[in-house]
Order: sequence, then structure tokens, then C-alpha cells
Amino acid sequence: MIPPDQKAFLGRIRQALGHAPHESRNGSHLFMQGPSREELQILERYRQRTAKDREELLEQLMEAAKPVHLCVRRLPDPEAAGAAIAALVQEKAPEPDTVKQVVAWRHGLIDGLDLHLLPEQSAVRVHRTPPLDPLMDPARRHAEREAQRRAIAKAHMGVTAADFCMADTATLVLRARPGQPRSVALLPPVHVAVITLDQILWDMKELFALLRWEARFAAQGLSRYMAFISGPSKTADIEATMVHGAHGPREVHLFVVASAPGRLQYVGQRSTFSALTK
Amino acid sequence: MTQLHPETYREAARKAIGDPVLQKALAGLQARFGRGAAEAYRRLPEGPHLRHTAHEIRERAVAHLDVLLERLAEKIRQNGGHVFFASDATDAVEYCIKVARRHGVRRVVKGKSMVTEEIDLNEKLAAAGIDAVETDLGEYIIQLAGEKPSHIIAPAIHKTRYDIAELFVKNMGIPYTTDPPALTRAARKALREEFLAADMGISGVNMACAETGHITTVSNEGNIRMATTLPRIHMAFMGMERIVGRLDEYEILLRLLCRGAAAQTMATYVSYTAGPRRPEDSDGPEAFHLVVIDNGRSRILADPRFREILYCIRCAACLNVCPVYGKIGGHAYGFAYSGPIGAVVTPLLTGINRARHLCQGETLCGACMEACPVAIDLPRMLLALRETLAYGDAFWKTTPANPLEGLAFKVWSRLTANRRTWECFLKAAALGQRLFPKKGNRLRRLPPPFHGWTRKRDFPSLAPETFLARWRKNEIEVAKDIP
Amino acid sequence: MECMTRTASPSKVTLFIPCLVDALWPEVAEAMVRILRHLGLSLDCPADQTCCGQAAFNGGYRREARRAARRFIEIFEGAQCIVCPSGSCVHMVRRHYPGLFREAHPWRRRAEAVASRTYELTEFLVDVLNVKDLGARFSGRITYHDSCHLLRGLGVKEQPRSLLRHVTGADFVEMENADSCCGFGGTFSLKYPDISAAMVNAKVDHILSSGARTVVACDAGCLINMAGAMSRRGISVNALHIAQVLAGVDFQRTCPF
Ligand code: SF4
Repeated sequence: MIPPDQKAFLGRIRQALGHAPHESRNGSHLFMQGPSREELQILERYRQRTAKDREELLEQLMEAAKPVHLCVRRLPDPEAAGAAIAALVQEKAPEPDTVKQVVAWRHGLIDGLDLHLLPEQSAVRVHRTPPLDPLMDPARRHAEREAQRRAIAKAHMGVTAADFCMADTATLVLRARPGQPRSVALLPPVHVAVITLDQILWDMKELFALLRWEARFAAQGLSRYMAFISGPSKTADIEATMVHGAHGPREVHLFVVASAPGRLQYVGQRSTFSALTK
Repeated sequence: MTQLHPETYREAARKAIGDPVLQKALAGLQARFGRGAAEAYRRLPEGPHLRHTAHEIRERAVAHLDVLLERLAEKIRQNGGHVFFASDATDAVEYCIKVARRHGVRRVVKGKSMVTEEIDLNEKLAAAGIDAVETDLGEYIIQLAGEKPSHIIAPAIHKTRYDIAELFVKNMGIPYTTDPPALTRAARKALREEFLAADMGISGVNMACAETGHITTVSNEGNIRMATTLPRIHMAFMGMERIVGRLDEYEILLRLLCRGAAAQTMATYVSYTAGPRRPEDSDGPEAFHLVVIDNGRSRILADPRFREILYCIRCAACLNVCPVYGKIGGHAYGFAYSGPIGAVVTPLLTGINRARHLCQGETLCGACMEACPVAIDLPRMLLALRETLAYGDAFWKTTPANPLEGLAFKVWSRLTANRRTWECFLKAAALGQRLFPKKGNRLRRLPPPFHGWTRKRDFPSLAPETFLARWRKNEIEVAKDIP
Repeated sequence: MECMTRTASPSKVTLFIPCLVDALWPEVAEAMVRILRHLGLSLDCPADQTCCGQAAFNGGYRREARRAARRFIEIFEGAQCIVCPSGSCVHMVRRHYPGLFREAHPWRRRAEAVASRTYELTEFLVDVLNVKDLGARFSGRITYHDSCHLLRGLGVKEQPRSLLRHVTGADFVEMENADSCCGFGGTFSLKYPDISAAMVNAKVDHILSSGARTVVACDAGCLINMAGAMSRRGISVNALHIAQVLAGVDFQRTCPF
């Protein structure tokens, strides 16, 4: 059943365009039935990508990261990334209204950072964000969600993975998934993202070709909520002076670790509905 | 809030011109962004020609709006989102209030959205007892000041840091400071509380994509992400034309939007929303509503002369290069949209006769068209609007705006239809001009319609004899060598 | 931009005199005559011409503009090559005349034919005749203002500049925002004089800070506007039409003010 508001509305549009007001028009020609020639080339390029190409992509990413103030570091492995995060935690003083706490996604790559060692080293609490069990009693689910939200709002550092990073514009791409709240990359004043080298793409064209046609990415498509993040939050609304951290993070760090086989970003989907890592 | 009217164009313009702070801010804004966008188009891998590709994309989308909107609505509903089609401002506002009441909403946070300015949403929510807080820093500042935005992208360019410091001291009780980072921190803190306490987040839509069933919001501050992530309900408002068919088309438009708006290759945040969160998701709104607004747009769509204005993606690039906007600022346009886009779209949305100054008060210099990321021929539409004002227009129900001017052009048409008559007229005028004060060759004061000109400028006096008269008499000297 | 170099160097040129030049500033037309004769061209100037109708068109008075266009086309139809010292008048004829008539209308073809043979002076000199150095002399620093319709409508940007760079003794400098509108806009300057004056005064400030003693443009409208504002402000910078500089005429005598 088409709601009456929609029927009248679309009828007016059809009439304005000179068509019969109450007949839906066939629009299949407006949409793609398969990848375009350009997209096929892009997909081919993606599949043939060599280690050398990846180095080049990283270089391009580092270049593009400078003007948007995204701090990119290359690290040998997740352990090193974990250590770098520990050092950052030490270095960054909490802002007013936040405490020295880390909140981190439940995700294969992030799990491998050994962040649970942090509390022992520095007495800094690390909150994890496990997925909510859809079968759980709604009241309990609500309570858990609220608990996560409070932890995220209080933390001064959020650690996430990312689906991709576009080298061309230094843009992180995050798709929504259980156990990976979007606010971890938004509320804390410092956002740290960890990705593997093979997650770096050239540009939006490549990203969209993958999300449309490459089976393992296309299954989820753009997801319910996808975010592009290019560096820290910015404003120039007061006398055109650039200030970072208007609402979102004041700093964004990206750690790129070598691609480890079997450690691709969607490993995170395997995570179980286990208890919070405390 | 101060209500603005397009009728007061001239007076508001005069006021803006006399405000040195605003003049400096406008010049700075245009110097920063005006040239930057052109440079950013040049650096596109496809070259600046991509603007014309984008124009075709928008043309195709607008020609198939019904198909695209149908597909978008279907997809969003599949995801558990709600879509409402509002035929006018009242419809849209009522829907918003109805949903808010149903969910017991008391506090609303807003991300910058021009279409909600167009429908006066904030005022109407306030009247219904719902507080809506603007969260874009610039919008927040002018909301505290009880004003209206003066630029699509930089709404508070007319405020100095001193104005802002005073506002913040008064409204937030912070210690006095004029340091932009400190002021930003204060706003961050105040607004963070709002975000966490709000029941509903309202955003606009920069562009929707029918193929994927997403709406996109773009920001640099992150306020829109906050407003669409933290509250229980997200309601997005979009003008019905802000949609494209396919993802590859969307890609081109997003790149051009970022370049046109702020000479960026990519805005800091671009978010794609396809519906509410799922039960197993940790955050995101539990309900998502999309309100698609007509409010006069289908009327524009029906007129091939003006359909092109629906290709606009509200990037504000045309404001940043417009020499008139650069002098009079946004408030003079008296409506949500200012600059060249306002000059065309406001008359069409609010009445051409009523907003006639908007489409007549330009020089047709063409800078806007060159800056527009989708290459909209704004000057052509300004001319078409003026034509409806010159003769009246049945479709738009306009009446001749200035019968005296119309008569003048009729007389002019007669005078210039014959060289002899024309020369008689010029001779008479030459006699007439003797009545007016003159200094050397310049006239210092003239009667209407020249009196405005001579208030601030001199006018040359007519030559004793026209060029053609002398040519006829063979008086034009035969060329010697150029010295 | 269509550089109409296809016309093999014409021997005869028909002068299209803008109404502002004809009535307020005939010296500009005289200078143009001098340049073209110097180049050995024979000149013709239809004595019936009055106005191209631009002001009516820009005001939205299409019918009156169409009437003017018909008259213009009738007068100039026979011409091989029409040259005019004003970018906006040429823009009117080239870009707007054809659109005044419906696609299939016989006048449409006639309008297109005339449009394709109409040139602005500097584009005619540089693109058609391939002349950049007229051997003119000048002394002092000059700057150039891009008129909107010439620049953005006809795409003429380098032609006047290269002509000016070849003038012996002229020290050519670019001013800031050379391509931003001076605020003339025909009847705009009469209907919205405050906005127009604010715009021209911004332009004048740029002229001043360039250090030039002379501002040159290719359109009498812009020049009258800039000169009028400078004269009121008591600024002694000359506003000259490019034809006057290229003809090397003594500018003291030919400035409109
Ligand atoms: S008309 Fe063009 S430049 Fe102006 S706001 Fe719309 S899209 Fe941007």
C-alpha cells in the first residue's frame, strides 16, 4: 500500500514532468545491472594489487593526511600498535569532562592489540564494546547499551578499526556493525584507528566499486550507517580561525600494520556475544 | 527571532554596506573560498569539465525524480525507517511535531539544514513547546544572538570574536575570553550536554542516492554525526530534488560538493544513513524518519525555464564569488537562501513579485555560473525571472513590477527604431543636461533615474556631437601612423 | 571559445558603435577607426544603427530587445565582418540574439549568421588579424579590468593583455580581483545605486593599490562607472578604453572626464 502522502506527492511530480500522475514509471535504465567497464578495471586493479602498489598507496595516504591533520604511522604488527596506543594513553592528558580511559571496539584486529594489558601497565581502564544479543530481554539490552554509552562519553580515547582507508583524501571508512559503536570514533577527544596495509584503497571510485560488486564487501554494501572520517573535527566559524575538536575528536591517529593473513577487518564479525572484557 | 523579508533588500543591503566588520568578513570569506573552489575544480583528475558531467547527472535525476524518490522510500522502509512526503511547510512541521509528541520528545538537537530554515522549523517547534538547539558552532552562535544565518556554509561570518565572547559570557556564564579555541571548547562542552540529553536529532540531507537507499550528511565539525547518532530519534529533512540515481553519480557530486563548498577534496565527515539501528547495534537512533519536502518545488519542476534551479546542491560556491553578495551579505536576501542561488530560488519559492529585488539586484556578471559545481546557468534564470516581472506571467501569477520602467522601455524602443528620432532625443537630452550642476565634463547631480548614480559617482556629459553624426559628415580623421 | 580565425583576413570591416560610445564617448570609436585604418582596412559604418538592445534584454524586456535585434540584423546582415569596441554589446549579439527567436524561426538563422561575424575589437585584432603589436606608445603604469561579459561570456582574457604588453613604455601590472565585476550592470547601477557604488569603490581600491595611474578596459560602461567613482573621490587615475591606448592618442585630451 502506498501511503496517501506519497501518492499525491509523486503524482504532482509526474504531472510536472508531463507524465500520467498515477502510474509508476519504469526506472530500471537508471540503475546499474552490473559493473561498468571502468569499474571492472578498478576491480581488476584491486585484485592484482602487489606489495609495491600497497607501499605506494601508503605513501599517497601519508601525503594526503598532512593537510587534514590525520597522524598516520606505520607499525610492524598489532603488538607494536598496542604499544603505540599505550604510549599515546600515557602522553595525552584527559580533557575536562573525560577521564583517562580507553574504549575499544570488539573487533578481530583490535582484539589482537592486547589492550587488556594496558590496565596492568598504567592503571588505565579499557572498556570493550561487545555486540548486544538481539535475543536478550529488551530492558537488559537497554541497560547494557546505556552502560556502553556512558563509558564512551567518559573515555578520553576511542580505539576502532576501519573497513577501508582512501589514500586519495586520507579518509577512513567505517561501516556499522554490532560490537562496533559509531560513537567510539566520535565522542572521545582522541580517536585511534588501526588498519592493515591491504585496507588502503585509492579513492572513492574504488571504494564504491568494491561495495557494489566485490562479493565479500557487497554483501553488507554501505550498511545501515557508514561514516567517512578525514582527520579531526574542524571549525572555522569564529572569525575564520581554524580550530580542531569542535564536536568530534581533536586528534585522529591512524596506525597501519602489515597485512596478516586471516586478520582481515571482517574477522570482527565472528565475535561472540561474550561478556565485557573488564 | 528577527524576521527577514525579501522586500527589504535595498535597505538591508545599505545597512550591510555601512557595516565595516561585515565588509571585512565578507571580503575575507570570498578571498578564501571564492578562488579556492575554481582551483580545486582545475585539480580534478577529470578536469573542470566534470562540472558539466555533474550537470547532466542532476538533469537526469530531476527528470526522474518520481522514480528515484519511490526507490529511496522503498529501501528506507525495508530497513525499518519511515518516510513522509510533505507537500508544504505546514505538512512537514506538523509531521515533525506529531512524531515528537508520540515519542515524548522535549529536547531536539539540530545539524545545519537550510531546508528547515526554509520551513521555519525552529520557531514552530518552539511554539509547540519543543526546544531545538542548533549545534553547528556558527548556527549556535547566531541562535544565541537571536538572528538568522547569513551564509549557507559560514552562518556566523558577520560576528566578531568580541560579539561571540559577550554572547557566551551572557548565555553560558563562562569567564570572558576572545580566544577562538577557548570559545570553541566552551561551546563544545555546552553542546555535548545537549547532545547527550536530546531525544531527537534533526538534520538536513546533502544528497540521497536511490540505488543504495541512503541519505548523506556532510560536515566538518562532527555535529551532524552527533545529532544523528546520540538521540533516540533521527529525523532528516530533504528538499525533494536532492537525490541522484546511482552511486557512481553520487561519487561525482560529492567530490564537487566538497570542492565547491569549501575547496576541500573531502569534508571531514560524510555519513550515509539507510535506516535506524538494528537491535544488536550498540548505538544509533532507534527510529529514523525522512521527510521529503515539496513546498513549491513541483511548481518549479513544471516550468522548463526554471527546472534547472532544482539541480542545485546548496554548496554556496556561488555566494563565495558573487560580487553583490560580497557587499550586501546574506541577510539582505531575507530568506533561507542568499547570494545567486537565493536570488533565483527565493522568488520562485516565495513569490516573484514579492522577492523581485532579489532577481533584479544583480549585474549578471556570470561569476556564479563559473563557480557552480553543477554548472547551473543562474544568469539565464535571473533574466527569465525579470521577464516575468517585465510583462507579467500567468503561470507564476506575476504582474508587471514596474509599469513606469515598462513604459520607458517602450519609448526607448520607439526612439531607437529610427536614427533620426534617436538623434533628436539625444540632442534634447544634451540641452536638458545643461540644467544640472557640472564640473568640467562631469555631471554632479542628475534627476531620476540617474539620481542614485550621482549620489556617489559623477556621470559624463553627452558629447556635443555623436560619433555617427561626425562620421556622416566625414569628420573622422584619416589615420596617420600610430605614434 | 570560438576563435573565429576561419575568416581569412578580411579587407573590409563594418563598425558597430555601442550607444554609450556614440553618445557619451565618441573618442573611443575614433580611436578604433584610427587603429583599423592604420592596419589598412577599409571601414564602413552603417549610419542607421542606434542600440543593440542590451539594456532592455538585461531588464527582462525581451520583446523590446527582440525588436532591437531585428533592426540590428537588418542593418548589419550584409557585413562581412562586424567589429565593436565593447565586450558586452558583442556578447549580446553573439550569445543572446539567436535565443531571442524560436528554433525554427527564419530570424533565428539570420541572427546566428550575424552573431558569427561579430567580434569584439581586441579579439578581432589578436585572433582574426593576428596582430599583437600595433606600435603604440604610452608612458606610465597601467592595469587592466576584465569586463564580465567579455571575460566570462566571450572567453576573452589574454587578447587585451597581450596587446597592452606590446605597448612601448607602458608598465603593465595586474590588479587584485581584476576579474570581479565593477558594479555597472547597465540599469542595475541606476536601480540599485548603493550596491553598485559599493562594488565600484571596492574596484577602485584595487586599482589604487596596484599603483597604476591608468586603468584600461574594453567596455565603455565599466569605464564610465570606474571613472565616475574615481572622479567623485578626487582620484587622479585615468580610465581609458583600450582603443585609446592602442591608438596612442594623447589621453589627457580623450579621457571622458
Ligand atoms: S547554484 Fe550552484 S553554486 Fe550555488 S549553491 Fe547551488 S550548486 Fe552551489
